[in-house]
Amino acid sequence: MRRSLTNAVLLGLGAPLLFTEPAWAYLDPGTGSMMLQLLLGGVAGALVVGKLYWYRLRGFVTSRFSGKSSHASASVRTDAPDE
Amino acid sequence: MTRPMDEMGADAGSYRDPSGRVFVLGDRVLRSVMPRAAADFEFVRSTGVLERLIAEGSAIAEQQVEPSGLPRGLDDARYVLQHPKLPFVSYPYEWCFTALKRAALLHLDIQIRCLEQDVTLSDASAYNIQFLGPKPIFIDSLSFRRYHEGEFWLGHKQFCEQFLNPLLLRALLGVPHNAWYRGGLEGIPTAELSRLLPLRRKLSWNVLANVVMPASFQRTATEGADTDIPKTSRLPRATMQSMLERLRKWISALEPADRGKTVWGDYAGHTSYVADETERKRALIAEFAASVRPPMIWDIGCNTGDYAKSALESGAAYAVGFDFDQRALDAAFARAESEGLNFLPLFLDLANPTPSQGWAERERRGLIDRASADAILGLALVHHLAIGRNIPLEEVVAWLVGLAPNGIIEFVPKADPMVQRLLRLREDIFDDYTEEVFVKHLRARAEIVRVVEVSATGRRLFWFARR
Repeated sequence: MRRSLTNAVLLGLGAPLLFTEPAWAYLDPGTGSMMLQLLLGGVAGALVVGKLYWYRLRGFVTSRFSGKSSHASASVRTDAPDE
Repeated sequence: MTRPMDEMGADAGSYRDPSGRVFVLGDRVLRSVMPRAAADFEFVRSTGVLERLIAEGSAIAEQQVEPSGLPRGLDDARYVLQHPKLPFVSYPYEWCFTALKRAALLHLDIQIRCLEQDVTLSDASAYNIQFLGPKPIFIDSLSFRRYHEGEFWLGHKQFCEQFLNPLLLRALLGVPHNAWYRGGLEGIPTAELSRLLPLRRKLSWNVLANVVMPASFQRTATEGADTDIPKTSRLPRATMQSMLERLRKWISALEPADRGKTVWGDYAGHTSYVADETERKRALIAEFAASVRPPMIWDIGCNTGDYAKSALESGAAYAVGFDFDQRALDAAFARAESEGLNFLPLFLDLANPTPSQGWAERERRGLIDRASADAILGLALVHHLAIGRNIPLEEVVAWLVGLAPNGIIEFVPKADPMVQRLLRLREDIFDDYTEEVFVKHLRARAEIVRVVEVSATGRRLFWFARR
């Protein structure tokens, strides 16, 4: 599930315009930062990422109410935005 | 010992970007600009933005020199730049909170201004910033390159790890960044900071956007294994500008969580000195500085920088201070800024000075390997090392005298209340801790020029000149 959602974020946001020059530098910008920037860069991205978090929250709530223990403080699940 | 890296001549910390390297040849600091970086180099210089940054002292000066005839690594460069040599090179894990904050703001200011001229920075390394006194200066003139419409802010992750996260560590959790930064060298990893922050801290948009979300995305992407960011992705320029502006505003308002409301106004008053004692110390330091006129003086255990200031006002040209008290360092830095002193206070645990480390153990250099002083001040210091840290008195004296040919060291006798405080909860195992033994060890290494008693409890200053 996570993998497909991540791919959806990445692919759903790509391709509006092409670079004429190579966009990458000698420095690895990090996937986390790149995904954040994809999100900040477009409304479409926001929707896809929102969906990703909705599923993660739903998973968390389900596991809580089914009685499994969860290390909530170490994860983003409890403080996902807008939920 | 000559090491393989040194034989190549290039500075061991400048290997990352193949666009060019730094070479230190005697007093000359040279930077190669390789053919692959020539187009960017020419474009950036055509915009005039770097020239303006240099003129206002925000970026280091540069002058083109002829590559032919220079050693290997420079002779095949398209351009060679010569930079002025800095009086002292420091690292982010030696900076206090305020210094790191100033460096972060300079980086953002430069990036914001460059973007207006279609120029961007290729990275966001905190090591690209140095200090002249308390003023930060950007030293990597090869970080500037052409901005391509729609490109990402490629330095965002590095900016967060090397500037933002260490500041947040202190601003949100009250933990200084220095030990962790020194251990990891590349800053504070976003994922680790995210795990440490309590939920209420994560609820701000700035923390969410720069710490929690990137950490979460990174983890999700790593677990997803085959994720790939399409090369066609783009970030609108206005979005990048707003990211930068927002960070700038946020960081400007960050303050240490553990500072308290009084700030440092009366911090200097918390010591056991009386005004009279301070005056006597200042007078001798002024006389010493006027006589020796040291280009570089190190104030070891500088506290809020009182005595470094006296030295600077009387003949020392540049002062670097070392202390491990964060609040004293912040106060010292604020003093250097507000009074325009050529004084850089740095974090250092004297019993564990900065080591040489990083790639090949040469990338970032240890204190003694990196710099030297013409004079030192070691006031209210010896008892902290000899009694507080159990370092044999002779070794303390040998280390201090070894740092510079001239200096002033204070000896605080055992009867002094400050020494008694160190001994309050422990056995006095320091039979050798007497002025007589101290003088014996000092005389074995240096001539004692003057001795001045500064307190009723028998504290004395020893002005020494190494033989």
